[in-house]
Amino acid sequence: MTLTTKSPDSRSTLAQRGGSALGDRVFSWWTLGTGLLVLAVLGLILITTVREAWPAFDAMGLRFITERIWDPNPATGDAIFGALSFAYGTALSSLIALLFAVPVSIGIALFLTELAPRRLRGPAVTVIDLLAAVPSVVFGLWGILVVAPALVPVYQWFHDVLGGVPVLGNLFGPVSSGRNFMTAGIILAIMVTPIITSISREVFSTVPRADKDAALALGATRWEMIRGAVFPHSFGGIVGAVMLGLGRAMGETIAVALVIGGSTNITANLFAPGNSMAAVIVQQFGESTGTYTAALIGLGVVLFAMTVLINVLAQVIVRRAEARMKGSR
Amino acid sequence: MHPDREAYLVNRNVLSRRVLVGVALAALALTGCGSNDNSTEPGGSGSDSGYASLSGELKASGASFPDAYYQEVIEAFKGEASNVTVTYNATGSGTGKKQFGEGLVDFAGTDSLVKDTDGVAADSFLYVPTVAAPITVSYNVQGVDKLQLSPETLAKIFQTDIKTWDDAAIKADNPGVELPSTPIVVAHRSDGSGTTNNFTKYLTAAAGDAWKLGSGDTVAWPASTQGGEKNTGVAQIIKQTNGAVGYVDLSDAKATQLKFAAIKNKDGQFVEPSLEGTTAGLEGATIEADLSYNPLNAAGASSYPITAPTFIIVKAKYDDAAKAELVKGFLKYLLNDGQDLAKEIDFAPLPASLKEKALAQVDKIQG
Amino acid sequence: MTVTAPPTTRAGAGGPDLTRAALSGRRRFSNHLATVAIWAAVGLAVVPLALVTYTVIVKGAGVMSLDFLTSDIPNSYRREGGGMAPAIVGTLLITGMAALMAIPLGVFGAIYLNEYGKQSPLARLIRLMADVMTGVPSIVMGVFIYLAWVLFVGQQTGFAGALALACLMLPVVIRSSEEMLRLVPDELRQASMALGARKWKTTLTVVLPAAISGITSGSLLAVARAAGETAPIVIVTGIVFAPNSNLFDGFNTALPAQIFRNASQPFEAAQDRAWGAALTLIVIVLGFTIIARLIASRFAIKER
Repeated sequence: MTLTTKSPDSRSTLAQRGGSALGDRVFSWWTLGTGLLVLAVLGLILITTVREAWPAFDAMGLRFITERIWDPNPATGDAIFGALSFAYGTALSSLIALLFAVPVSIGIALFLTELAPRRLRGPAVTVIDLLAAVPSVVFGLWGILVVAPALVPVYQWFHDVLGGVPVLGNLFGPVSSGRNFMTAGIILAIMVTPIITSISREVFSTVPRADKDAALALGATRWEMIRGAVFPHSFGGIVGAVMLGLGRAMGETIAVALVIGGSTNITANLFAPGNSMAAVIVQQFGESTGTYTAALIGLGVVLFAMTVLINVLAQVIVRRAEARMKGSR
Repeated sequence: MHPDREAYLVNRNVLSRRVLVGVALAALALTGCGSNDNSTEPGGSGSDSGYASLSGELKASGASFPDAYYQEVIEAFKGEASNVTVTYNATGSGTGKKQFGEGLVDFAGTDSLVKDTDGVAADSFLYVPTVAAPITVSYNVQGVDKLQLSPETLAKIFQTDIKTWDDAAIKADNPGVELPSTPIVVAHRSDGSGTTNNFTKYLTAAAGDAWKLGSGDTVAWPASTQGGEKNTGVAQIIKQTNGAVGYVDLSDAKATQLKFAAIKNKDGQFVEPSLEGTTAGLEGATIEADLSYNPLNAAGASSYPITAPTFIIVKAKYDDAAKAELVKGFLKYLLNDGQDLAKEIDFAPLPASLKEKALAQVDKIQG
Repeated sequence: MTVTAPPTTRAGAGGPDLTRAALSGRRRFSNHLATVAIWAAVGLAVVPLALVTYTVIVKGAGVMSLDFLTSDIPNSYRREGGGMAPAIVGTLLITGMAALMAIPLGVFGAIYLNEYGKQSPLARLIRLMADVMTGVPSIVMGVFIYLAWVLFVGQQTGFAGALALACLMLPVVIRSSEEMLRLVPDELRQASMALGARKWKTTLTVVLPAAISGITSGSLLAVARAAGETAPIVIVTGIVFAPNSNLFDGFNTALPAQIFRNASQPFEAAQDRAWGAALTLIVIVLGFTIIARLIASRFAIKER
């Protein structure tokens, strides 16, 4: 700035105000550098974890994913590390979570965009924000000390009523305790509801006013308007939102570790204890050595790959839906 | 704390650490192994001057089995050596050994012996036995207050070969006891653990062919069983669940008010877990040259058969002489005054002979 | 919900009847059903929130006191009394350090995306990867920091926890800051450039200040999220029972890790401390969230 006062030439004043071109270049490199940090961290995660997990992948090969037995200390023979049971637990608890969370989230999003009286909209948004703000470990604490014991009689009732029905009976099998796939799914559902809700809400709010008015003008009830104008328009976005929720549910560690039951188990019985990949890592990581540690890191690699895949897909779907919606506006 | 005082304390710490290093070096150079005689001297009453002059920080991690006991000792040690901070992180034996091998901690607690795969170099460490404790088979079955189990039945229960409490095998062990048809829920550790290791080793030794899951820090439990974090997590499951049975150390089982079964020992007697039974088991065990020993399934009519030893592993030689002095100071306290604390929280102190050997082992630590 | 008399038409009047009564029973019923279902959904979201809040407040308030906030953690779970001071110190320091690292870096990253990269393939890749990175499970981040940092420096420290949290915060800060920068009208940039200011100067003195409230509130939300992360803390920071204000030396702990450890204890004293810690954590997290909302609503750039 001091330069400006010295220089009588107005052109150079303009050019030099705020420093030289070098400053610009340095600044743009610096910001580029920070942007690249994201790629660097992701790359490093992939490299370090795969490298450290290699002994387990090497020893197990494809069986690491297809084998259901997880036995670090077998009575005879080599240790067996199969992630299938934990992958099943991750998938099942996440699916239960979506089963509960998706209808509720879409309902809340519709409420906020189509139904809510102005006075209620603010409080409803606050509820969702608060749900999102509660740390997952608090849900875990609540789950293990309050929900799990309280749900035992409920599960027992379901088992008593539906246990004898041919197909359903398999799902509602014997109850051993409140820590099982179902409880994990319920706790996860509460945790993914805010994220699905907020994205669905954004998607719904992009539905053109004209489409909705047109539907109503044709004599549609509100529900028919939602079915005919809102849903078709926002289908892609909703799918993306659900997948983001799925990604979140799959990666959740602590709350699941507390309530899922800690057992290596593949069963249709929703009331049976199981385990998830993330939970197994946090439970056993500290205790492991050698190939065992490598196998746990391997679980992390599989989990990382799965969540990245789901997130990329979800992002692509959401983006494409957004682009299409903008086009139609 | 007032900043001046803090600065003063820090200075004093630095000072005394320097002095200590000097003293330790001098002692090493001059007296050599002669110092052994001096340091074994302050047994029992000798807690006076030795500890107060120590200062610094000790970090440790490892077995959760003796955690409650170590934390008591650490608390009491604070009263003797106010300038020493000892932190013991009950991560489990596996982590303890791993972190010890990686140099993350100064010493580690472990229930199991060091294996090649643990990442600890073979001759770099020493075992120091600290206490022993019975592992109970705790249960929660409404209407059942007394339970006796033979090793074979125990194996069948934990393998889920037996599904309900009124199974013939359990009835055979408990003549005349009214048993309900409640389904059995087996609770075990979801984290790797020295307790699991000792319990499964016991089953391997005592139940013979009836036990098929092998032994180790983690074993492949049947699918329908429940896992809990640490001994206390298992205790929590048992407490919460009617029909549950699991293995928990005596101290945690008592603190949680769980009921536990009498187990049939090698001599065919059903013995309830108790400190006396544990000491009896220790006396029946053979002590190896490196002070490792195995009291599982020991002989003797009054021995409780599932008795777990626990060790602290220390470096044979610390890079930092002051660190070595701290470790020695703490362990001597643990083996002398600390042993009296054991019984109060349901751990069994070492028999006198083993305690002497352990103290001699501590003196071998070099700095 | 009951369907009343079938709506026979009043069509005799001539034109189509557009009143509600003209709807067929089935259509009216499904509309009703949908409305009820939507209201029920809102109720279903309120119930768990109310229950969690109620339990945490009731059980947490039972142990809450000045003593609880300032005492050391008892080193035995069984012992009664004690408090959570070390975990509160740890949470504040670790999260603070993480924010100190992640927010500046994240804001500069956002500046790259919005001011320089724009729609270039590289910028789009970074944007996509930032979104992907928000989905990386925190446990994976914990394992990563353990392998890449803890083993490297040879000790579990509070700083390792801060690094893990920073990695989790970074993409959130980048994306939310970028949104805010995008809201800054181009006219501001053009005006500044027209006055001869360099681009970097324009960005730092004109664009950034215009978006700063939005960036602050977005970053605070990221901080609030990070303060509740548990898994990485459990894996990389170890544990202490007395406050450790040095992030670079010695173990540390944080409220979420204490909640996790105490939650699976059978002892009532430990469970009480878990509830107390949960209440403290929620108050801290809510504090950040509320401040963020206030800043956002008070200083928000008016929507496009």
